[in-house]
Amino acid sequence: MKEFKILLIIAILVIAGYYGIDIYAHHEMYGNLPKPDFHYLDLKDVNIKGDPVKGKELFQSNCQSCHSLKAEGLNAMMDAETAQNAFNVVPPDLSNLGAMLAPHFLFNFIKNPQNATKNPKFAMPPMAQLTDQHIADIVAYLQSVARKNFTGKDVLTDACTRCHSVKYQKIKAFTDEKHLKNYLGKVPPDLSLKGRSKDREYLETFINNPQSVLPGTSMPRLGLTEEATNKVISYLEEIADPHKQQRNKVGIWALIYAFIGVVLTYAWKKKIWKTVDK
Amino acid sequence: MRFIDWLDERFAIRQVFKLSMVDYKVPKNINFLWSFGMLLVFNFAILFISGLFLLMYYKPDANLAFDSVNKTIMMDVSYGWIFRHVHAVGASIIFLLMYIHIARGIYYGSYKKPREGVWLTGYILFILFSATAFTGYLLPWGQMSYWAAQTITTLFEKVPFIGEDLVIWIRGDYAIADATLTRFFALHVVFLPVLIIITIAIHLFAVRVVGSNNEDGKKIDKQKEGIPFWPVFMSKEFFVMSIFLLFFLYLVFFKFDFAMDRVNFEPANPMQTPKHIYPEWYFLAYYEVLRGFFFSQNLGLIAFLLSMILIAFLPWLDKSPIVSGKHRPLFQIAFWVFVIDFLILTILGKLPPSGVYAWIGLFASLIFFGFFISLPIISKIESKQLRKGETDERV
Repeated sequence: MKEFKILLIIAILVIAGYYGIDIYAHHEMYGNLPKPDFHYLDLKDVNIKGDPVKGKELFQSNCQSCHSLKAEGLNAMMDAETAQNAFNVVPPDLSNLGAMLAPHFLFNFIKNPQNATKNPKFAMPPMAQLTDQHIADIVAYLQSVARKNFTGKDVLTDACTRCHSVKYQKIKAFTDEKHLKNYLGKVPPDLSLKGRSKDREYLETFINNPQSVLPGTSMPRLGLTEEATNKVISYLEEIADPHKQQRNKVGIWALIYAFIGVVLTYAWKKKIWKTVDK
Repeated sequence: MRFIDWLDERFAIRQVFKLSMVDYKVPKNINFLWSFGMLLVFNFAILFISGLFLLMYYKPDANLAFDSVNKTIMMDVSYGWIFRHVHAVGASIIFLLMYIHIARGIYYGSYKKPREGVWLTGYILFILFSATAFTGYLLPWGQMSYWAAQTITTLFEKVPFIGEDLVIWIRGDYAIADATLTRFFALHVVFLPVLIIITIAIHLFAVRVVGSNNEDGKKIDKQKEGIPFWPVFMSKEFFVMSIFLLFFLYLVFFKFDFAMDRVNFEPANPMQTPKHIYPEWYFLAYYEVLRGFFFSQNLGLIAFLLSMILIAFLPWLDKSPIVSGKHRPLFQIAFWVFVIDFLILTILGKLPPSGVYAWIGLFASLIFFGFFISLPIISKIESKQLRKGETDERV
């Protein structure tokens, strides 16, 4: 009984310490993160219905000079090397972005990329020649061609790896380091372990609105939908901790093994101490 | 049986075993806190073996270290991650065991005459393990590895006259760099473990010479009251060990974040200081004493050194004739205040040192030293009471 009391005191001290260090102090240090806003409420609301057929024509005449749309067999008129030299970044393929980006964001982005991304140096110029109806048509077109059942890895390829490398997955950023330095001021960090060095809450808020967590960062706001954000975070966590499933499985067996040890050693102790206690 | 006889003839193993294990008697009235010594040996063995396997794949080079840990060991080598998890959790938990072992020693007065030698070798072991943990923490070459090492080595600048040269001598460079990594590596995998093994041997030998203390701090007649170390005590020890193993494996597989800080999964970057720099949990209390005297850096540094050294002098600070804290009401108050204060210092060590936390930090640091000041006073009061015959014969 007395030994249980000692164990209880140790347990209380350990739990108090754990709570104080890992939960209370950690929270005090990093504070509350702002909640992510997947409706992008700061951007102007639009209520125009677009026509995908007109959108395709508009895409070909306004976007295809820089952007490809491989799903429809449309190649950019500019090759990656020329684009890098002109903009310091390779423009993304637009096949699936219609499904990954919030439509409301996409509309505002085409109208004024610098404002929507909250990055004054964002490479794409504003499309002043397009009316709101034109933009709505293009958005409708992009949505109509996009694959709805994209994976986290697809999001990574379409939204992240034109600037970020993921070296443990052997993915190299589409844009050269030299150009990225010109464009963003430094080479953006590798994403191989971001799923482990940051927690989910941080990644969600950061991807949703980089400036709200890291003011002054050159990472643009991407306008990903909640679904796309969650998928890409899950993918990042998976590649940063690839043995999680194996660990959980082996862990159960290890605990069973240790528990059998507890039973056996207790039985032996009982047997030996029977003679002593007499 | 034959083989045993063969060995016995040549090495006298039966006699050695009998002498060191069976005839070595421990008091019967010792609780499971007395199991923590062997538990520590067990934990050290776990660290030694897991470390050996990590060593087979680890590359001590500033350009390769991070990837060799986080890619090769954690992702590519079959079950390499288990060894990393075991090593990281083991390194953290061995300090928990040490703190419990030390607290037991303090509470039951195990440092008192004639056990000063046990206490001092134990203290040396604590310092050696601290050095091992500190050098080992740099090896993954993550952000926290780098900046913790940078911050702690900077403290040596304050050493009078030779400070600045000393820092460069320790680092092997003007800042933490490849040269620091390789020398910390050498200390971590060869020099310190060898010293630890030698010191453990002396520590255990000293315990066998003077015998285990017990709850009442009484000297026992071992022929009548003692129980043989083998198999009686060890049968209980194995039971405690297997419970510990259950807890340990739970941490290794399901709750390892406390020992593997997220920040350290970012590669070391000398150009970018992390938002917060803090040591691992087991150094937080001393770190807080260092910061506690926020108005004077020099004072903080002296306090920091004292906080790590003072505990070695317990046998000479506390000269009360009553051995066990069980029979010392005044001492009990001081002890529990000290334990709670240490816990508060540990938590404060991770909190930002500003506003009200800075003042609590200063106050808690003063209480920390208050414990050591109170010991000679309590001893005096108790001696006086004893002389007056106010305490009963139980002591």
